[in-house]
Amino acid sequence: MAPAECEATYKVLVLGDSNVGKTCIVHRYCDQTYYDTYISTIGIDFKQKIISLDGTPIKMQIWDTAGQERFRTLTTAYYRGAMGILLMYDVTNQESFNNLTYWLKNIEENASPDVIKVLAGNKCDAVSQRMVEQDMGQKLAENYDIPFYEVSCKQNINIDKIFLTLARHIREQRSYQQLTEREHYDSGQNGNITLDLKSRILEHTSLKEPWKCTC
Amino acid sequence: MEHPKKSQSCELYPSKKEIHNYHGVVHSVISYGKEDDQQLNGTLSLIQESEKVVIEWRPNDVSIDTECQEDTEWALVNTNTRTRTSSGSVDGALSKLHVNIMLNDVKTIKVSNKKNKLTFTLKDNKQKVFFFHFGNVNQFFEELRTTVTLKRSHHDSNLYFVHDKNAIVQSFSDLTLVDRGGDTVWNLVGDLKRRPYETTLSTFSKLTELLLYRNPEARPEGAMVEILSSLSSTDGCPEVDDSYHFICPVLGPRKLEPRGIPLSQDHWETAKDTEGKIINPDHIKQIIFKGGITPSLRPELWKYLLCLYPWNSTKKEREDILNEKTEEYKRMRAQWSTMSADQESRFTFFRDKKSLVEKDVNRTDRTMPFYAGANNPNLELLSDILMTYIMYNFDLGYVQGMSDLLSPILAVLGNEVEAFWCFVGFMNIMYHNFDEDQSGMKKQLSQLHTLLTAVAPDLATYLDSHDSGSMCFCFRWLLVWFKREFPLEDVNVLWEVLWTGLPCTNFHLLICVAILEKEKNKLMSAGNGLSEVLKHVNDLSYNMDLNDILMRATGIYNQLDQSSNLTASTQRVLGLAHDLISVQQSQSEPEEIVGEEKIDVSMENGYEKSIEYNYF
Repeated sequence: MAPAECEATYKVLVLGDSNVGKTCIVHRYCDQTYYDTYISTIGIDFKQKIISLDGTPIKMQIWDTAGQERFRTLTTAYYRGAMGILLMYDVTNQESFNNLTYWLKNIEENASPDVIKVLAGNKCDAVSQRMVEQDMGQKLAENYDIPFYEVSCKQNINIDKIFLTLARHIREQRSYQQLTEREHYDSGQNGNITLDLKSRILEHTSLKEPWKCTC
Repeated sequence: MEHPKKSQSCELYPSKKEIHNYHGVVHSVISYGKEDDQQLNGTLSLIQESEKVVIEWRPNDVSIDTECQEDTEWALVNTNTRTRTSSGSVDGALSKLHVNIMLNDVKTIKVSNKKNKLTFTLKDNKQKVFFFHFGNVNQFFEELRTTVTLKRSHHDSNLYFVHDKNAIVQSFSDLTLVDRGGDTVWNLVGDLKRRPYETTLSTFSKLTELLLYRNPEARPEGAMVEILSSLSSTDGCPEVDDSYHFICPVLGPRKLEPRGIPLSQDHWETAKDTEGKIINPDHIKQIIFKGGITPSLRPELWKYLLCLYPWNSTKKEREDILNEKTEEYKRMRAQWSTMSADQESRFTFFRDKKSLVEKDVNRTDRTMPFYAGANNPNLELLSDILMTYIMYNFDLGYVQGMSDLLSPILAVLGNEVEAFWCFVGFMNIMYHNFDEDQSGMKKQLSQLHTLLTAVAPDLATYLDSHDSGSMCFCFRWLLVWFKREFPLEDVNVLWEVLWTGLPCTNFHLLICVAILEKEKNKLMSAGNGLSEVLKHVNDLSYNMDLNDILMRATGIYNQLDQSSNLTASTQRVLGLAHDLISVQQSQSEPEEIVGEEKIDVSMENGYEKSIEYNYF
């Protein structure tokens, strides 16, 4: 599908510690491929995928970067224009989970305040090596009020679902922004409309309990 | 979606609006005879501030090697999207260099014949001179025209008088005065004739307006026209020399010389004397620069190129060095290998680095036969060397990308101790790529921008105006010297070429320039923003002809080396600054006079002292 046919491009960043599977999830989602060994990411890269979001073609642009803290200086270019963030940890690596607070702080400092976030606990297929229980991730996600899924790139669990959740929330956010802008132009002739807006959109986009993990 | 910082600043300064900005504008910071005379690259902006229009020039955070550490933003030259804060509020020394000109204070603007320079003469007769690297002076000028009324001088087609909007209103009210037959204005003209320079130019410009905007029949008498014409010929703007040779460099034709043949076994054998010393290392380096090394000779040659052995060492001395280095390696290796788990539990820095090494070793060049397969013993060697390097350079430790630098060295040398010390030699060159604050990478990206501006100014301008002026899409190229861009055999050749340190400092940046220039048309194709540029650059990986790139880069070097009109910053990046002295001496032209101010070329020499290159 040519880019011109897409209604919008959603820029999404994948963030998280080194080796949690950032590149892996991008490849799995965009190319439907999985390799056992990957090379560490240097610099920044992205892949694109055209999806049908309830019948509307949307270009998902998924940005990937190195996990090591030192390379966070690239963030200005990386974060610019980001609408969604897929924050990721590795369920077999406690440290990657512990560092989520660092990442959330980093997002707060660099990303737009209304950026959409989702949390992914990767490698949920590796049952015997699991270090972080699912309810830990669940609890953290609830604290920050963000949707959460455990995923597996290897076994292709919840990959499409988590990106679709992101896309829906981004669309919701954008239509909310557009409507409030319109409201602004109408110079608030009916204040009830603005108040009622968010609930209307939520109803419309059928985002019910998106954080429920089905893994 | 707005960047939070940006929206914040908009709230803070609601009345400020950037009309337009222009990159690659050099401002002559000239203070007669002072040591800090310099040419600084920066961005010229037109800013609407309440009712006033301000011309603001800010130096690039990046073009000044010695000061680029000051900035904390990564945005670098990408000032298109830069947050606008209160004028002059930028931290550090750079803010001192800012130039703010109220358009109200500008008397005349002179455009140079070559359309690459604007000279603003202020009402106090001070001058501000700006050079437009990319020749976009016309664009700026047109933008200026929409803001103020510019009136061309009768006597100099390149000279314009400035009228701000208020002045125009005022001039029309003057017109009414004249129509009413009042004498005030004409008395003033008399004063102007008697005291041409002392009378304020604003009054004068009102009259010019009146003279030129009126219908011919309504114009004042011929005598008055003559008076006004004679005044405008002595406009108080000194003639300015247009021959600014270091701006808008025009390079000579590029010659592409074919690559040479790799250093052969026969040649290498004859290069040594009876004691095993290398007789003429420079000659050997030249051969390597032109054609690389025959693969079977690499293990031996790389030890010289990476400074394990001095070129003038005898066979015996090399044996001694190796023994000594082996002991030293063993000692450092034992420092980490004997660490107990209990000890590690209280040693976070070490534990973190060790974990990173483990993660990266498992995903470094696993498709190469040397590292392929599970439980490959070479993976352990790779890990051990990186761990020992943590002990060798504890401040740096391990940073992602370093495994990429070690992998080919270990694969070629096959020996743990030798590979370690050669890696140390390589890291001595690359150390700054892994700086904690990434200042080494930032500096190189800015230097790359400088070189690209000299070689392909149109591309540099394009990237600047398409959100890509930070050059961050070249990050991977620079961090690991193209390790991810070429197949291993090419990487070996490229690295040994670069290790010779020939033909200039930062030759690897010219390789970047050669690639970018080659891809220029594709990069500049319609609508390309950062994401398209990044995509194109990333997709070049494994799709480039190394020999072609090296020929181009060498050709570009020769063009720059032979050019007599390089910017000082370009010369500094390539280490060609010494040429300035010789050019100056041979031509016996120590100074160029620019209006009332003087630029002393020899001042540039001061930069030489501050250059720090990490080549050996």
